[in-house]
Amino acid sequence: MTLLVPLVQRVFGVLFKLLLLMIFVFPFLWMISTSLQTFRETLSYPPTLVPAVPQFINYMTALEAGPFGTYFKNSIIITLSIIVIQMLVLIPAAYSFAKYKFKGSGLLFSFVLLAFMIPGQVTFIPVYLMMSDWGIGRTLLPQIIPFMTNAFGIFLLRQYFKQIPEELIEAARLDNASELKILMKLMLPMSKPALATIALFSFVSHWNDYFWPLVMTDSAAVRPLTIGISMLRETEGISNWHVIMAGNVILVVPILLVYIFCSKQIVKAFVYSGIK
Amino acid sequence: MKKLSLTIVLTLMMTMLAACGGSNGNSGNGNSNDTASNQQAASVSNSSPTQNASPTTTEKKTIDFWHSMGGANGERVDAMVQRFNESHDHIEVVATFQGGYDETVTKLQQSIASGTGPDVSMLERAYVQMFSDSEVLADLTPFMQSTGLEESAFIEGLMGHSYFNDKLVSLPLNRSTPIMHVNKSILGELNLNVPTTWEELKTVTNAVIQKNGNDITRYGMSMPYDTWYPLAMITQSNSSFFDEEGTTVPFVDDGTGEKVFSFLKDLQSTGALFYPPSADSGNIVTGMFREGKIAILYQSTGSIGGLIENVDFDYVTAFLPQNDKFATPTGGANVVMLEGSDDKDAAWEFMNWMLTNDQGALPFIVDSGYLPVTHAMIESEMIKSQWEKEPVRQTAYEQLAYAIDTNKDIAWPSIMHEFFSAIEAIMYDSEDIPSTLQTFKKEAERLLAE
Repeated sequence: MTLLVPLVQRVFGVLFKLLLLMIFVFPFLWMISTSLQTFRETLSYPPTLVPAVPQFINYMTALEAGPFGTYFKNSIIITLSIIVIQMLVLIPAAYSFAKYKFKGSGLLFSFVLLAFMIPGQVTFIPVYLMMSDWGIGRTLLPQIIPFMTNAFGIFLLRQYFKQIPEELIEAARLDNASELKILMKLMLPMSKPALATIALFSFVSHWNDYFWPLVMTDSAAVRPLTIGISMLRETEGISNWHVIMAGNVILVVPILLVYIFCSKQIVKAFVYSGIK
Repeated sequence: MKKLSLTIVLTLMMTMLAACGGSNGNSGNGNSNDTASNQQAASVSNSSPTQNASPTTTEKKTIDFWHSMGGANGERVDAMVQRFNESHDHIEVVATFQGGYDETVTKLQQSIASGTGPDVSMLERAYVQMFSDSEVLADLTPFMQSTGLEESAFIEGLMGHSYFNDKLVSLPLNRSTPIMHVNKSILGELNLNVPTTWEELKTVTNAVIQKNGNDITRYGMSMPYDTWYPLAMITQSNSSFFDEEGTTVPFVDDGTGEKVFSFLKDLQSTGALFYPPSADSGNIVTGMFREGKIAILYQSTGSIGGLIENVDFDYVTAFLPQNDKFATPTGGANVVMLEGSDDKDAAWEFMNWMLTNDQGALPFIVDSGYLPVTHAMIESEMIKSQWEKEPVRQTAYEQLAYAIDTNKDIAWPSIMHEFFSAIEAIMYDSEDIPSTLQTFKKEAERLLAE
């Protein structure tokens, strides 16, 4: 009898996890399935779960519908630029907020909080006008400059840095290490999980960004993949869902790849509880 | 140190790539520096003896054309623009998709404000008043005169949104109306005729219902979640959405609003009407029609093409049933020229070509299922042969005789949102119709007075 209880618990545990898994994975499976169907199959009711003959041609159709090479290149340049610049800005900012007590640090930190809270939908018009005035409206810069910093990143990294013992830093200073060296050789290696998390979240949110590129760009030459895919939709009438889903799979694959590489680090970041 | 310099180099590279990223592409028209340098570059490359003799007129002009056509229609617009560019050496039109109709309006507003707007744009007809009130649309009358294009060349029913303060500010481009799509096979099974009045509609849609226990497996009719269809029904009952002065919404107080929505709720209660959820309703209801889950569909004439190709049953179209009279609103987009354009003559040349040339908008209209907008288009071979093959399209044109738009006002875009709220309250939440409409009326009158 006593053996049964843990067994029942385990079974329920497994079933529950399977249920959660299905809820999260099912939309992706649906997307892949639709991307391999014919147009008639996508419209049928009850819905087709497994296509009769996988239509890989849908992927070709999606790629040929617009300058996808340009879109892909733009997405990569924008997202990577944002991540690199954010790292350069966040790390010193978090370090100073964590380890230095200086006049105005409270005020500056509240500015960071404020920036976090104001949504893009409020600022996009003034920003657009600003970028046009600067004459860079037709480049990729309007999609990069507004995201050069990341409040969430500053928070997370600041927490991490705070957990690093003062004694270590004092010791390094005693050894005549410059602040930069302390940062590079001491703080960063101990914060790898946080850095990976911030990089991944930045990557995902900017790779998937639709609203900001749409309002900041007027020409196809500077648009990223998300806009390219949305252009597959019909404005009035029936959309070709199979082609749109193929486009979406193309859009999602890089994120999945990056995630697979970074997943270990992310779990570490959230589990890490300052074990000294 | 190495890592740091590597990061710096990487950042600089990225920033340079980003800065150079777009500027090789299309050049602007609002930005005079770009136009000047592009013209210089173009005049260097346009080197034929006769052209060099008169240097000021040989520069290739660039016209920015913004549109809202995605998917297959987007490809058709691109093909049309390519036909223009191939036949006009001295003008290059650059067409850019700017999102759906509403997204295009946002883009137009912000770009006009910053001086980076296009020369020509597609503009959903309900927004024309709003833009012309801000005086950003060019008066087209002098241009029409310059090429001898008469207003009478256009189909009257589609000209409703073209004027503002007696100025001609837009011309119809890709227009549509709602129409009744009918699955005649289902009606035939039950020996029913295509309904022509609301009463007949009620009889037919109730007769078509099929149930499996307590679940309805076949509804009578459906329509997308849109203000269009209630608008149609209001005018069919001899009322109008806005009054002439634009101060109130007469359909609320004269009882029409209650008549229309009670009729819809009555049909909904028996399963004669399936009113779809708001998200993606167009796709949902059209899919249901295609699969025989409904026998009658109120939907845009724009879906005719897709339905012809993809249905297995006897498919016909008919006028929307009348209450007191036949009536239909129009939809789709007009084409406008922006007042801020640097090259209005070239812009007009493009617009004129689209509307009068056989290779202009006509093939796009024929393939997409939008309505022909000029009498010349109707007389054309392409349309005539299409109507012979597919008479369902001709019905759409014939219904234009009853086209009437009563929602013309600068305040329509904001009042439209209030109307949607009222529709949701009535159709989804089954709230009391008169009080919901009174609430709507108050809000509408407030917005109209601004």
